[in-house]
Amino acid sequence: MVFLTSPAWIRAAKPDKFWRRRRTFRLSAHYFGRARNCYKTAIIRVEKALSYALVGRQQKKKDMVQLWEQRLEAGCAEHGTSLPVLRQGLMRCNVLLNRKTLADLAIWEPRTFKVRGSQLAME
Amino acid sequence: MSFKHLFMKSTFVKAPIQNGIGRYVGQLQRITVKFCKEHSDSKGVRDFIENQVVDFAKQNPGIVVYLKPRRHRAPHVKLEYLNGETEILSAKCLSERELRQWLEVARGSSGEPVARLRKMQHTDRPSIQGVWTPWTSVPPQTNLETFPSEEGYRAPQREQTATEKLRELFARQQEQKQLTEETTGTS
Repeated sequence: MVFLTSPAWIRAAKPDKFWRRRRTFRLSAHYFGRARNCYKTAIIRVEKALSYALVGRQQKKKDMVQLWEQRLEAGCAEHGTSLPVLRQGLMRCNVLLNRKTLADLAIWEPRTFKVRGSQLAME
Repeated sequence: MSFKHLFMKSTFVKAPIQNGIGRYVGQLQRITVKFCKEHSDSKGVRDFIENQVVDFAKQNPGIVVYLKPRRHRAPHVKLEYLNGETEILSAKCLSERELRQWLEVARGSSGEPVARLRKMQHTDRPSIQGVWTPWTSVPPQTNLETFPSEEGYRAPQREQTATEKLRELFARQQEQKQLTEETTGTS
C-alpha cells in the first residue's frame, strides 16, 4: 500500500533566519544603540531609511532641475532675456541642449552662453 | 542613496597617466608573509613557500619578499605599495593556488584604496573662457565711473502702473474736453 498523504504533511525546513536578518544588519551597521544589533528595532529603522531613500531619489531629480532652471533664469536676466525666450530660441534653432548642460555653460563658459542667449533672443 | 553603511572611503575619479604611458613601474613594493609552521590554516601558505615563492620573487625583481614564520598566528600577507598604502590580505585557509592568484591581483594594482566614486567625471580645467563672476558681463568702464552717474545707472524700465495709466487717461480726457469746448466756443 502506498501512503501519499503523510509525506505531504512533512514541511520543508525553513531557511535559517540568520541570513535574512544579516541583510538588515548590513544596512544598520552604522546606527546608534539597539537599532544596530537588535533585529526588531533595526528592521523598523532600516525600512524607514529605505523609504526615505526612495523618496530622496525622486526628489533629488526635481531639486536638480529646479536648481538648473533657477541658474538659467539668473543668466538670462543678466542678458535681458528670460528662460522661456531662451527655450523657444533653442527649439527653433534645433539646438537640443538640456538644462543641465545649459546651466554648466552659463557657469563655466559665460561668453558662449551670452552669445547663445542674445542670438536666440533675436530669433 | 547613503553609502555610510559601506564604511568605505570616497574619492573622485583619477586617471593614472603618470604610469604606463611611457614606462610602467609596478606599484607593489614589498610583501611580508606571516605564517605558522604547524597549524593547518597556513598549509596553503607553506605550500606556496615551498613551491612558488622563489619563482615569484625571481619573476618580480621589483618586489621584495619577506617571510616571517610566527607560531600560533593566523597567516596573512602584508602588501606595501609605492604610495605608502598598506593592505593586509588574510591567507587563512587559502590554497596555494588561491594565494598565488591574490598576489597576482596585488602585483597589478596601484596602491589606491578601494573607494566609492563620488562622481563619474573629473576635469582639472572645467572652464576655458573663465568662470562666471558678477563682473563678467559688466563693462570695464565702470572702473572709471564717478558717482552719481546718469548713463550707466538708470533704473530699469518697467510697465506702467495702474495709477499712471489712469492719470494718463484722465489727462487725455481733459485735453479732449478742452478741445471740444474750444471748437464749440469758437463755432
